[in-house]
Amino acid sequence: MDRAAQQEVYGRTVERVYGVLLRITHSSEDALELAQETYYQAFSHIRGFDGKSSFDTWLYRIAVNEALQLMRREGMARAKRESLAVQPGTDAGDDDADARIDIEAALVELHPLERTMLILRYQEGLDYQTIAQITDCSPGTVGSRLNRAREKMRELLKKGYSFAEETPAPKHPMDRVEGESVDGNTTPSAPRVRRGTGT
Amino acid sequence: MSCEKVRNLLGPYVDGEAAPDARREVEAHVSDCYTCSEEFEHIRKLAVSLGRFRTGSVPSELWTTIEHRLDNQSRVRSFFPSVVRSRSLLAIAASIVVVIGLGLFGLPWGRDSSQVHAESVDFAVLLDGLQHDAVAAFDKFLTQYKAVVTTPEEAKRNAFGLNFDLPLTLPGGFELQTAYVLRFGEAPGVAARYDRGGEFLGVVFHAPVLKEHFGTHKDRACVVGKHRGHSVPVGDWSLVHLTDPTTCHCVLSRLNESTELPAVMAALAPLYAPTTGASDHRPDGS
Repeated sequence: MDRAAQQEVYGRTVERVYGVLLRITHSSEDALELAQETYYQAFSHIRGFDGKSSFDTWLYRIAVNEALQLMRREGMARAKRESLAVQPGTDAGDDDADARIDIEAALVELHPLERTMLILRYQEGLDYQTIAQITDCSPGTVGSRLNRAREKMRELLKKGYSFAEETPAPKHPMDRVEGESVDGNTTPSAPRVRRGTGT
Repeated sequence: MSCEKVRNLLGPYVDGEAAPDARREVEAHVSDCYTCSEEFEHIRKLAVSLGRFRTGSVPSELWTTIEHRLDNQSRVRSFFPSVVRSRSLLAIAASIVVVIGLGLFGLPWGRDSSQVHAESVDFAVLLDGLQHDAVAAFDKFLTQYKAVVTTPEEAKRNAFGLNFDLPLTLPGGFELQTAYVLRFGEAPGVAARYDRGGEFLGVVFHAPVLKEHFGTHKDRACVVGKHRGHSVPVGDWSLVHLTDPTTCHCVLSRLNESTELPAVMAALAPLYAPTTGASDHRPDGS
């Protein structure tokens, strides 16, 4: 791969690669160093790319490997050192900012691999198959790790962190009117609910 | 479908990963179960909240730094092309260097090339070549870190601060072929080549403060004897790392981690302290 091609790949992918590294490590310094290492490894060992996944997935895989190795070596304390390196987005109102920072703080408390799973799924929008290729496990394992990560997030949020409420306080399901949608644009509709007990 | 089963499917359902049959069952259940509908709502909101974060801009110096490292790598490769291609030439060149003396490390070209890998140990070149030719891959790794042939005694003197031993014979009958001193940036390292009737075993010692890179290969937690470490498997081969407070002991072999490797590792790291070591290589716990 010549230099122009390398630069093209870099330009096309760097925002996402750097973003993932920043969210995993919560340190701009670490993210910079790891991003440098990721591209150096990728361009130096391009022959190691076997074409079984897309090039971008392979690049993610290197980046995530590097980040998890760093986190394992240096422990989670490092992640907490710069816990607010990730800034809330500017597309939502400022009144949600505190709640979103709470979510971010809860993310930092997770095991790095669980945090990585949540980041790849919800912030990068990757499907289970792609996440499985990046983290070297099966799609089923991705699903169970995400379940576990969500459960831990729930416990942490119970301790005082809060959601960014993108909708008004939820109505009781019985109060929904016929045809009313309860979801946003990106997630499935909640089935309408009749009051009942668990089975 | 029970609530427990439905709750396990809610995540995949929200993520659009549930199979059509499962989706229908989830929808049927949730429409009748207030508890599971609340769980669904929780997962959905979490997904939306997690997707709302943005990161800061990419530092402008990042590409320049990458380009600089790639340029340095090209210079190193062009300096050693014939050596990399020929194992025998490497041995001859290294022998000449050792006769001249270790003072070569002070020459300008040596310092320049070593900066490429300062503060890190990049095993990718070794791991990438294992399946094809392990000995050639090990040679390539040695070239990358400017290996110089030496004796075990001289290696100990030059790698002051590292805790290791290079016995002439290892348990299992491996015989020492060649010892080397290396440079990882400014830090010294040691390597050795052992042989047992044509079966290769490679050894690398470096300071634990140096970061390890495995390219596209994955490392996993392992236990060797009573010590926790980590291992990077590639086919039949594995690169096993055990770390004590002063030294990371890396052994490349096809040995079984439970049976043959513990004795070999004990011979290479005789003062290895299990109570304080291996803290850098904790298993994931995931």
